[in-house]
Amino acid sequence: MNAIEVTGLSKHYGNSRGIIDVNLEVKEGEVFGFIGPNGAGKSTTIRTLLNLIHAEKGEARIFGLDCFAQSRKIKEQVGYLPSEVHYYDDMKVRELLKYSSGYYKKDCSERIDQLCTALELNVDKKLEELSFGNKKKVGIVQALLHQPRLLILDEPTSGLDPLMQNKFFEILREENRKGVTIFFSSHILTEVQRMCDRVAIIKEGRILKTESIDTLRSTTYKRIKIEFVKLENTAFEGFPGVVDRTDSENGMEFLYNGPIEAIVKKLYEYELRNLWVEEPQLEEIFMHYYQ
Amino acid sequence: MLLYKREIIRNGKSTMLWTAILLLYNISMLLLYPSMTGAMKDKMNLMLQAFPKEMIIAMGLDKVSITELLGFYNTYCYLLVTILGGIFAMLQGISVLSKEEDEKTIEFLLSKPITRNRIIFEKVSAVLTNILILNIVVSMISYVAIELVSSEAYSLKALLLLFLGPVLMQVTFAAVGLLISIFIVKARINIPVGVGIVLGLYFISILATVSEKADFLKYVTPFKYVDGADIINSKAIEPVYLAIMTAVTLACTFITRLIYNKKDIVA
Repeated sequence: MNAIEVTGLSKHYGNSRGIIDVNLEVKEGEVFGFIGPNGAGKSTTIRTLLNLIHAEKGEARIFGLDCFAQSRKIKEQVGYLPSEVHYYDDMKVRELLKYSSGYYKKDCSERIDQLCTALELNVDKKLEELSFGNKKKVGIVQALLHQPRLLILDEPTSGLDPLMQNKFFEILREENRKGVTIFFSSHILTEVQRMCDRVAIIKEGRILKTESIDTLRSTTYKRIKIEFVKLENTAFEGFPGVVDRTDSENGMEFLYNGPIEAIVKKLYEYELRNLWVEEPQLEEIFMHYYQ
Repeated sequence: MLLYKREIIRNGKSTMLWTAILLLYNISMLLLYPSMTGAMKDKMNLMLQAFPKEMIIAMGLDKVSITELLGFYNTYCYLLVTILGGIFAMLQGISVLSKEEDEKTIEFLLSKPITRNRIIFEKVSAVLTNILILNIVVSMISYVAIELVSSEAYSLKALLLLFLGPVLMQVTFAAVGLLISIFIVKARINIPVGVGIVLGLYFISILATVSEKADFLKYVTPFKYVDGADIINSKAIEPVYLAIMTAVTLACTFITRLIYNKKDIVA
């Protein structure tokens, strides 16, 4: 069974675009990345899945259940971490987590202790006293405490320092090993690169492509950086496959997608002082989709 | 009833504060009543005769006497119970749902296994409980104070209706507040709007009392539905007013439920 199945989902906010004809399929047990720049429609899609907003067209199912009609049942099995976390300022962390677990009618105290220790979260602090990063940790714990089958994470690492991010990814890997499906939205590609099996790329409300992370990284994109002996300003101008060119003091760098042989032949025409050929970051490949 | 409990705790201090204010005010006013005897009674009546006719009508003193227990209660206590109680109920109704959206905690709440109908049910139940707590405490202790200061017989039925009337009116205000909050979520806007509506309706009730031309306005304002002087005289709340309050309360709650279920939550 698929964990998430979305077909032809569309949503507008008045006259402005939300999402258009979004199709997604996330398999159970998969770590699925959902990438796109801010405003592309990631949160709109997620909020529709959680029945926070209502789509005009299309269908969305989680574990075979209808996201609109059977939302309550779905939420028993889903943990959600929103991109911006807001909690009740009058509560202490411990009270909020207890309150949160009350909705699942389970004793989650052991799990809460485990997670709070791992994330170094002080449960006796009032929520209004917490920094954004610490509130995010509360968000992580409340999303995980009831041991959901599906985790929906919207920009989960914003506000977490790199050490905490590592711990968070460790927790996610552990959950995934237990069979938990993870749906992970982000505009930071390296995160997605670290975690995900497949990604969907969303731009201006439409899904551009859904690919396995290996396919996305195995394209022939190379980042090429050149230092000339004698500056050649017009080199590679209009050369097929060269994009994203930036000139430096005595050289240039660009992203190249095309036959390696062709670029090597072209490079041979110039007197070079230095040459770097690197695997591009997923981010760079991703940027290319937006051009 | 997790959400219900949470709402009761969250609003506990506010309900206690409003209850304490009304209670202290009622008791201190009622303690003044024993001085309203003998020569003082005559002086008071003389003084009132000097008041403009409109003012006497506006205060309901053409129908009840300020020197009698229930008339005294109507003039000095009941007025504040209805106005402050009305504001309390309006604020309760207007903020109970919208607070979650205004403070953006609604995304947390709606990610839990709870339906929107259940959220409305538990939150509205909490508002009704708070209204009942305020009125039961204020009414019971005021009753004890009335018994302590009364030197003459009075209609218990009329007094009980003076205790019941504000409850019905407050429930109506809370339901109106609930509906307003569906459209105006921001507390800095919806709270002044809510208080403005209660005070506006109070002034409309004075207008409806004083001016014969504005008599039709009595159907518009809940303050007229539970007019103290009328209740004391007729020992009843008119069925037409009971019907209006029930209809408004049910309609507001029903429309709220309908819209809230379809509403996009964009926190």
